Amino acid sequence: MKLRAPSAWRDPVALLALPAVVYLLVVYAYPLLWLLMKSFSGPAGLTLQPYVAFMSDPFNWRVIGNTLRVAAWVTVVCFLIGYPAAFALARAGTVMQIVMLVSIILPLSIGAVVKAFAWQIVLRRDGIVTQIMMGLGLWDEPQRLLFTETGLVLGAANIFLPFMILPIYSVVKLIDPRLSEAGATRGATPLYCFTHVTLPLTLPGVVSGIAFVFSLSVSMFVIPSLLIGDRFQTLSTLTGRSFLLMRNEQLGSTTAVILLALAVAIVVGSTWLAGRLGGKT
Amino acid sequence: MTKPRAIALNRRTILAAAGAATAALAAPRILLAQAKELVVGGAASHKNFVETIIAPVVEKKYGCKIVYEGTRSLVNLEKMQKNKDKQYLSVVQMDDPVMIPAVAEGLLEAITPGKVPNIAALKPGTIHMDGMWVNYLQPWLGIAYNPKAMKTAPTSWADAYDPKYKGRVILPSLQNTEGLANLFMAAFLATGKPMPEAQKDIDAAFKKLVTIKPNLLTAYTQMPQAYNLLEQGEGFMISSAISQVALERKQAGAPVDIAVPKEGIFAMPSGVALVKGGPQPELAAAYINEMIGPEVQAKLSSVTFSLPTNKDTPVPAGMPTNATMFGVDWKFVADNRPDWVKRWDRDMAM
Repeated sequence: MKLRAPSAWRDPVALLALPAVVYLLVVYAYPLLWLLMKSFSGPAGLTLQPYVAFMSDPFNWRVIGNTLRVAAWVTVVCFLIGYPAAFALARAGTVMQIVMLVSIILPLSIGAVVKAFAWQIVLRRDGIVTQIMMGLGLWDEPQRLLFTETGLVLGAANIFLPFMILPIYSVVKLIDPRLSEAGATRGATPLYCFTHVTLPLTLPGVVSGIAFVFSLSVSMFVIPSLLIGDRFQTLSTLTGRSFLLMRNEQLGSTTAVILLALAVAIVVGSTWLAGRLGGKT
Repeated sequence: MTKPRAIALNRRTILAAAGAATAALAAPRILLAQAKELVVGGAASHKNFVETIIAPVVEKKYGCKIVYEGTRSLVNLEKMQKNKDKQYLSVVQMDDPVMIPAVAEGLLEAITPGKVPNIAALKPGTIHMDGMWVNYLQPWLGIAYNPKAMKTAPTSWADAYDPKYKGRVILPSLQNTEGLANLFMAAFLATGKPMPEAQKDIDAAFKKLVTIKPNLLTAYTQMPQAYNLLEQGEGFMISSAISQVALERKQAGAPVDIAVPKEGIFAMPSGVALVKGGPQPELAAAYINEMIGPEVQAKLSSVTFSLPTNKDTPVPAGMPTNATMFGVDWKFVADNRPDWVKRWDRDMAM
C-alpha cells in the first residue's frame, strides 16, 4: 500500500496549533480588528479622515521620523555589537558558552524599568561615561547624555541586544567551520570567505534578529518615557497617551495602525530584500 | 456605520461581562458581611489613610464596615457608569478633573448641609458645582529642590527660568496634573494679571514657558524618576512638586525639601462625592461628614502633608500657614487640556 501524505487540513498534528490559534484570535486578532475599525470610523461611517488629519500635521511627520530614526539606530547598534558576539558565543567552549548564554539571557529577567534607572546612573553628569570621556581627554567638561537621543539609543540597544545575538547565534552554530577552511584552501582571502560563505549563511539569523530588534524598538513605550521623557514623542508614546490620558480612542487607534503598518512594511521588506540578496550568492 | 456599531456593541458586551465577573468575585465578601457595609471607591494610594484614619472613626461611631476599593480615578468613573442603574459604590474619592464628567453624566448626588453638617466649616473654594463634590484635603504644589545642590532655597516660581540653572530644572509633563501649575504660573509671571484671569491666558503662558527650555533637564511623566534625578543631584529642582510626595521623601531622609514661592502655591485635587442612587445614603453622608470633620481632618492633614479644608482645623507644623493658595478652574482645564497637551508637544519638543 502506498503511503499518502495527509493534507494539511486533515493532519491531526495541525490540531496542536489550536490552543495558539484560539489564544491569538481572542487576545490579538479581535483587538486588532477593533483598532482598525475604530481608526476608520467617523460619525458618518467609514472614513479616511483621521489619517488625513494626522498626516497633514507636520508635527506628526516629526513623530514618525523620531520613531523610525531611533528604531533604526538601535537596530544598527545591536547588529554591530551582536553579530560578532554571536560568533564568539557559537565558537566558545562549553563552560564559556554557558557563562555567556546566562549573561545574555539573565538580564532579560530584569524589567526595562530597572534597566532604565540603571542607565540613568551610568549616563548622568557624574556617571561613568562622563568620567571615561573626561579621563581620556575627549571631553573638556561633563556633557549631558541623559534625555538625549544618544542616551535613548544606547539604553534601548542594551535592553534589546539579546534579541539580536540569539537568532544569529542559532544560525552560526549550525555553520560548519570547515567551510571557511575549504574556501581558504582554494585560495580565498578571509574577507572573501566571510562575504561569500559565512555572511550569506548567517543571513536568516540576521534577518530575524533585525526583525526582532526593529519591531521591539519601533514600538517601545516605557524605555523612551524613562530615558528621554515627554519632550520626544514617538508613535507609541503618542498612542499610549491618546488612550490613557486624552481618552481619544480614534487618534490612538490611528497612530497604532500607522505604527503597525510601518513596522510590518519594514520587517517584511527587509526579509524580502535579504531573501533576494541571499539568493544571489 | 453598521460595522463599527457592531464592534462597539460587542465590546460593550465584553465590558459588561467583565463587570459581572468582578461583581461575582466581590460577592462573597458582601454576602459574608452582617453589619451595614459601605463601599467607598478611591485612589489605590489612599487605601492606607482611609483604612487607618477615616474608617475606624466612622465604623466605631456608626457600627458599620467600610470597604475601600482602591484603584484609579478613571476606573471609579467607569464603575459608576457601568452600574448606573444599580450602584454598589456609595462614596467616591476622585481627582477633581474626573468629577466633572461624573457630574455631567448625572452620577453624583449633591452634598448639602442637611445631609453633611460639617460642609459649613469648609474653606472657601473647596465646595464645587453647588456641592456636587468637596475637597477633603489640600495637597499643595510648591518647588521641590535638593538642599545639597542648592544652598539657598528657591523663593519664586521665576527661579526656574534663571539661566544659572541651565539643564538642572525638572518639570512635570503637562499630562501630569501637577504640570498644570507651571502653565498657569507662566501666564501669571508673563501678564502680571491676577491668577483667576491669568490662568485663562494660555497663549501668554506658552510664550513664557518655552523660554525655560534651555534650563530643562527633562519633563517627566513618571514621578519616581523625577525624585531619583533630584536626589542624585542631576536635577536641582522640580518646579511644581506635590507637597505630600516631596515631604515624604524628606521625612525618609532624602536630600529633598519643598519651597513655598512668594507668589503662592496651588491646591491639588482631592475630591469626595456621594454616588447618586448608591446604597446606604445616610451612612455615605456620615462618612463624608466625618472625613471633613475636625478630628479626622487634623490626623489626615498631618499624615498626608496637606492642608486641611476644614477651617476649624489647625494647620499641621511645617505647612505653609499664610501663603496665597491658587485654585484651579478644573472645568476650564477639562475643556481645554487636550489642546494644551498638543501645543506642549510642539512647543516644548527638544
